[in-house]
Amino acid sequence: MSDILTRRSLLGGLGCACCAGIVGTAEARIPPASMTPLIQAGYRPTETDEKGLWQQYERVEQEIAGSNLLIQDPALISYLGGLTERVGGPAAKDLRIYLAQIPEFNAFIAPTGFMVVFSGLLTRMRDEAQLSGVIAHEAGHFLRRHHVRGWRDLRRKSDVLSFAAMGAGVGGAAAGAYLGDAVRLAHMGTILSLFAYSRQLEAEADAMGLKLMAQSGYDPAAMPETWQQLIEEVEASARMRKKRPRRGYSLFATHPAPAERMTDLRVSAQEVKAGTGRDERGRDRYLKAIGAHRPRFLDDQVKLNDPGASLYIVQNLAKDGWNGLLRYQEAEIWRLRGEKGDDVRAAQGYAAAVTLPDAPPEAWRAHGYALLKSGQGEQGKAALGRYLAMAPQAKDASMVRYSLAQ
Amino acid sequence: MRKPLIVAATATSLLLAGCVQTRQVADVEFQPPQGNYSLIVMRPDVQVGSVTAGGLVEPRAEWTEQARGHLLQALRDQQSGRGGRTMVAATRESVPGVDPKTVADLERLHNAVGNSIALHKYMGADLPTKRRQGIDWTLGEDAVKLGRATGMDYALFLYAQDSIASTGRVALQVLGIAGCFVGFCAPQGGGGQTAYASLVDLRTGNVVWFNVLQTGSQLPGLAFGDIRTPEGSAQMVERLLGRMRAGRNVRNRAR
Repeated sequence: MSDILTRRSLLGGLGCACCAGIVGTAEARIPPASMTPLIQAGYRPTETDEKGLWQQYERVEQEIAGSNLLIQDPALISYLGGLTERVGGPAAKDLRIYLAQIPEFNAFIAPTGFMVVFSGLLTRMRDEAQLSGVIAHEAGHFLRRHHVRGWRDLRRKSDVLSFAAMGAGVGGAAAGAYLGDAVRLAHMGTILSLFAYSRQLEAEADAMGLKLMAQSGYDPAAMPETWQQLIEEVEASARMRKKRPRRGYSLFATHPAPAERMTDLRVSAQEVKAGTGRDERGRDRYLKAIGAHRPRFLDDQVKLNDPGASLYIVQNLAKDGWNGLLRYQEAEIWRLRGEKGDDVRAAQGYAAAVTLPDAPPEAWRAHGYALLKSGQGEQGKAALGRYLAMAPQAKDASMVRYSLAQ
Repeated sequence: MRKPLIVAATATSLLLAGCVQTRQVADVEFQPPQGNYSLIVMRPDVQVGSVTAGGLVEPRAEWTEQARGHLLQALRDQQSGRGGRTMVAATRESVPGVDPKTVADLERLHNAVGNSIALHKYMGADLPTKRRQGIDWTLGEDAVKLGRATGMDYALFLYAQDSIASTGRVALQVLGIAGCFVGFCAPQGGGGQTAYASLVDLRTGNVVWFNVLQTGSQLPGLAFGDIRTPEGSAQMVERLLGRMRAGRNVRNRAR
């Protein structure tokens, strides 16, 4: 989206409650049992401000629905739609979901009930329960009418501040006193209170989301897992770059701090789980649905050249078992980093990948070239031949044939 | 989101006191359309909102619908006065003979080109090689194809925004000016309008004319038009499109 602030992008920023926030501060935990949807199926706004908000987002949705960043695979989209319907509570039939090919951990929902999920989210999720947690969180924003409530909070506080500041200025001038410092303090207080309200709404969406997950039979423990993964990924990324990870704590944060958020989520997940006794994970279903796209999703992530994060993601997925694709991408991460010794790490990775029955063709190509480089010409050519046999239509097939002819 | 630079350009040029200003730029060879021509208006973007006491703009659905209707009617009336036939494509689906995806692509292309015009012609980032050359931007073959498919001569891209000061905002404006009497002068902005129009010649694909309108006022109760009314809409259309000037070369030859 745009960097330059316009009325619409400002509204967009306020309106699109994202789940990717990294920083925050502690607030009291909201028990999931206390969260009830504030709207019913087929909800349409009746109040003036909410109607205006909805109308604006109709045009935004048109824009997004026609974006060429969207992944158009009907099977995958209908899978995501089904999932949304399952955890959507009373809004099940009213929510829409779009999948954008952007390798970042993010998802957001607009006030009108359309959701945008980034492909980077699907890259990271280990099973359907984890994904359902993020979708349920976003549905929670919609069911609790967070956009209009956030807008009203902003409007009320800015109204009060404007009159207070003007009153202090005029009153102070009339009385011969300078109240500028008090006004600045009030300004700061208002800003902090806006951020605090935003964090409260995020905590509500978490609690509402957990309740929705449990009601639809998913294991609620998957939601804190997602946060644990995100925290660990951020730390791994920083470690590899020899930087300190972001502290994850700020008064100016729109989202709760991941660590506190995770603690609350764990307690709440236990609470809602106790009530149902069902704990579906849906891993096979998830892998079947995204399977065809996983190579591309991982490729997008690895090409960001954020080796710490990428390694974490690959290794986290491998907790469910290594396969040819994960081994190949792990090796690619080293090759792309390209520091001393990384070529050896990469070569070992390719060699390990091709021993697995589901190694992708690219693993054979990379393995072949790695062998050629290390002077093992015959084995290298054999591996390249294997690549050509597996992917005769590959775009680089003639280049590989040329290598073979050398 | 859609026209960030264009809106930002005009917003920054708002003067402190109340005023109405327009600034048009044109291709050096631009001749304002006259006589028997046809014009397609591409999915006009109209927004009307209320300015809260704190200065935020709250979008209003009903006002927006009203304004859109009046504005399009005013546009049709004005164009037919010049001899033109106007077709309004309210949605991407309503351009005959062209699929919505192609329309969307052209809109996005225009958005990028329009941002470039705003940057280099309105925000002061002049291009040294393009000084005194009018506007020299094109949508290229895609626009020509649209012209061929629809049989239209020109495409008009239109954005109009009006914000109306709420009672609370007017009260704050009054206080800000009343404060002047005790030595605390803090005039506050009220409502205002921002609009732009961009005319594309579908025979060449070139953006041939571009105009930006800005109105605003710090005096409580004073506004320069209100596009929720037929008169206000007609006024905006007249300000935006009524005084189209020919391009520099054309004017020079006429002298």
